[in-house]
Amino acid sequence: VPFSSRQAFPLPSLPRKQPTVLVVCGPAQNGAIGLVCARHLRIFDYEPTIFYPKRSPDPLYRDFTTQCEKMDIPFLSYLPTEVQLINDAYNAVVDAVLGAEVEAGEGREPCAAILATLKHVRIPIVSLDVPSGWDVEAGSSGGISPDVLVSLSAPKQCARRFLGRQHFVAGRFLPYDVQKKFELNPPEYPGTECVVALRAPR
Amino acid sequence: QEEAQAIDQELFTEYKFSVDQLMELAGLSCATAIAKAYPPSSFTTSQPTVLVVCGPGNNGGDGLVCARHLKMFGYEPTVYYPKRPNKPLFEGLTTQCQKMDIPFLPEFPAEAALIDELYGLVVDAIFGFSFKGAVREPFGSILSTLERITVPVASIDIPSGWDVEKGKADGLQPDMLISLTAPKKAAMHFTGRYHFLGGRFVPAALQQKYALNLPPYPETDCVLQLT
Repeated sequence: VPFSSRQAFPLPSLPRKQPTVLVVCGPAQNGAIGLVCARHLRIFDYEPTIFYPKRSPDPLYRDFTTQCEKMDIPFLSYLPTEVQLINDAYNAVVDAVLGAEVEAGEGREPCAAILATLKHVRIPIVSLDVPSGWDVEAGSSGGISPDVLVSLSAPKQCARRFLGRQHFVAGRFLPYDVQKKFELNPPEYPGTECVVALRAPR
Repeated sequence: QEEAQAIDQELFTEYKFSVDQLMELAGLSCATAIAKAYPPSSFTTSQPTVLVVCGPGNNGGDGLVCARHLKMFGYEPTVYYPKRPNKPLFEGLTTQCQKMDIPFLPEFPAEAALIDELYGLVVDAIFGFSFKGAVREPFGSILSTLERITVPVASIDIPSGWDVEKGKADGLQPDMLISLTAPKKAAMHFTGRYHFLGGRFVPAALQQKYALNLPPYPETDCVLQLT
């Protein structure tokens, strides 16, 4: 994921002076992936800040949190509801709130409030796997509109409704027999890349 | 050697990285470096076959991860893994390779000439930076054979059999060295064509604390070519 974020927003192109990125992490696996992404963004010299209000008790995910903290990645204690503050402070938002594991119609606090705020930001949003709040199959009505979608392993059905600028597939680890068994037909990754763009940037 | 061990310790105890995480990133770096230096099109064998020789510890684990990624990159790796630790980490990595149809040889090829014929490259994942003392069998014989092959050898972190600081003038002379995290002292004695740095996971604070002075990695690459 951080590789694709980087491809979509190379460092020199960012509008703000500091390469700040807000990573919003939900309570489950999608959020954990966001934590890992934030750490790698830091190694790539971005300045990520994390908002992780509902922390998973899973020891693996707790370790991901420690790794981020030890790398001096700040954790916000609250998400500003004043959207202009977010627009001003960050170049982009990584949406790692909800993934494919969520059932349609769930709007648990604080996710619902976060998503309501994110809907109105004007800086680009990079969604991990599924734009948070979208139904995994049907897509969204009036939800977040991400600029970049990074589908993990393979695009989910709702990706057909994605209207943003760039769609990447990442997570180059599926063995061939699994790909065949589920008829995934993932695109060919170039060389040793772990990310592949599905559509040319508009 | 002690510094390398100290850095590892901090990554595990202070930063709470798991061995799995770092091993995966390390193995991926190795496969990536190999793919850059020896692209499949460069092989003289009809298929890009690679023999990955895995030792009894973490270096062997790095080799298993590397083999799996080489397969994803279009190579045809074969693994020789004679001494397997009884731990879930290594059992899991072995299963992942097997489930991806990566063959595990029951015996090491008896002669150097046989290796030269069957494989375009050998990955040396036998011993790493924790290595001390004498080489135990079967690795002594394996290393003697590897010293006689003509196809290139890519060593993970330390050319196996070398003293981690002083090297070994009459030992294995690999064509490629992939230093993980930071080059070890032994790397000064490396005379092969390709020296890569891998394992791009050391936080800036640790780099400073140990004065690693690592050159910057290009963009989002997980490897850096040093020579």
